[in-house]
Amino acid sequence: MRFSGIKMPGLLKGGLFCWVVVLFVVVFSMFLADFLLEEPAVPERGMSSIPFDHAIHGDSIGLDCSACHTGARASANAYMPSMADCMDCHRLPMNDKLAEEEMQVDLSEKPWSHKRHLPDHVVFHHGVHAAAGVACADCHGTGFRQNRYGGEKFDMQSCIRCHRGETFKERGFKPAATYCAACHR
Amino acid sequence: MGMDRREFIKSCSLVAVMGLLYGCRKLPLDEVARLGDGPTLKQFEDEVKLAVSQAKKQLDLVKVSRPGPLSIPGASPLNRFGMAIDLDLCDGCGECILACNKENNVPLVPEDDAARGRFMHWVDMRSGAPFMCAHCGKAPCERVCPTGAANHTPDGLSAMVYKRCAGSRFCGANCPVQARKFNFNDAQKLGLARKFNKEVPLRDKGVMEKCSLCLHRLQNDRLKFKTQLSVAVAAAGNVSVKNAAENATEWRGRGVTTACSDACKRRAIIFGNWLDEKSPLVQLTKDRVLYAPREIADLDPSVVFMRGRR
Repeated sequence: MRFSGIKMPGLLKGGLFCWVVVLFVVVFSMFLADFLLEEPAVPERGMSSIPFDHAIHGDSIGLDCSACHTGARASANAYMPSMADCMDCHRLPMNDKLAEEEMQVDLSEKPWSHKRHLPDHVVFHHGVHAAAGVACADCHGTGFRQNRYGGEKFDMQSCIRCHRGETFKERGFKPAATYCAACHR
Repeated sequence: MGMDRREFIKSCSLVAVMGLLYGCRKLPLDEVARLGDGPTLKQFEDEVKLAVSQAKKQLDLVKVSRPGPLSIPGASPLNRFGMAIDLDLCDGCGECILACNKENNVPLVPEDDAARGRFMHWVDMRSGAPFMCAHCGKAPCERVCPTGAANHTPDGLSAMVYKRCAGSRFCGANCPVQARKFNFNDAQKLGLARKFNKEVPLRDKGVMEKCSLCLHRLQNDRLKFKTQLSVAVAAAGNVSVKNAAENATEWRGRGVTTACSDACKRRAIIFGNWLDEKSPLVQLTKDRVLYAPREIADLDPSVVFMRGRR
């Protein structure tokens, strides 16, 4: 291994040491990438075997989010719908295609399993934000209309920016509580 | 394979550096070690009995005036939460300690710590009565916190942000009544912690903790109140209902209690809002003489004792 212009000490000419350096650089760059980039947002798809299409269930047919995510408007958790919530509509003869047949693929009580990523030292009440006039897309984006989930980045930075009144100024939101114990326990 | 001493040492140090870098990552094995059921309820009950029987510390009580609005900047003029402990009613049974431990997931301590009386309990028995953090209005602990983990809420709670705590223990050293407890042990790894209440997080090793006045109950009630209020105002729409709702637009924490207060069979622990005339705390302390430990009497404590009638 020759470095142009620089006279390298004899040590670097050794074959074994070169390999160790190369190995170190490769491993170090992997660790560096791991530290800098953290975990990339993996879209959560295939949480259920139901071929569910958000685009034909949501606001396109005039449904409010809370029709299926029953807690979205007033509870601490938004919740994923249970099979009973689906069947509330799908039992009705609403279209030519019998939806029940389509849904035979998974008739478990809770077809969606969703792990909440909120750490237990953080308080987040979904309902109070919805009730204060925050629209779903403000935090969740519009990816769900194309069946893309999990791309949102929720961190304290985004919480505190809005609570300080730095974002969504055009909406006229009042600054919200910013003392630690408002959200942390 | 030729390798001189220098190369060998360099390779060794590189391996060591890589090992160190790897050690900086959060290992998934850590998470596995934290699983498991934890100790039995009987162990918690026994520890409380031991703590009550061992309690020797005495309180030197002096008369204090009724806590008023806080003088810190940004303090709420409507809410100041606190408690009053009725020394005429309390018989020192220790039920409040157990209730607090279960509510706040307070861990057990190893046997040798227990023998020396070093418990993690947020509620102590002193002079035969429960004693906990007084949530002083001029809290000396908060002034010395280097990270801002100990801070005051506008509602008069001396709050702890566990994830901010760096474990300097300055707050514990500056508390004149030793109301703070430090996690010297990793209770989760030692199997001494049990999550009775999922509302309250378990604390890590190296973090200071103390009575939070059941902060989680207040937080939940406040969020519920605010949600219901917004939903009611939005649903009502018309002006008359909106005006009716205006009357209750401010959250006063009515109906919230602490775990110790709930558990007290003789109703000696009263929780409430010092600034709310409708609060049981204000009503039940009206004709009573209030006391606080001498060390914190001039620090504007929110948790006081009462004895005798005026």
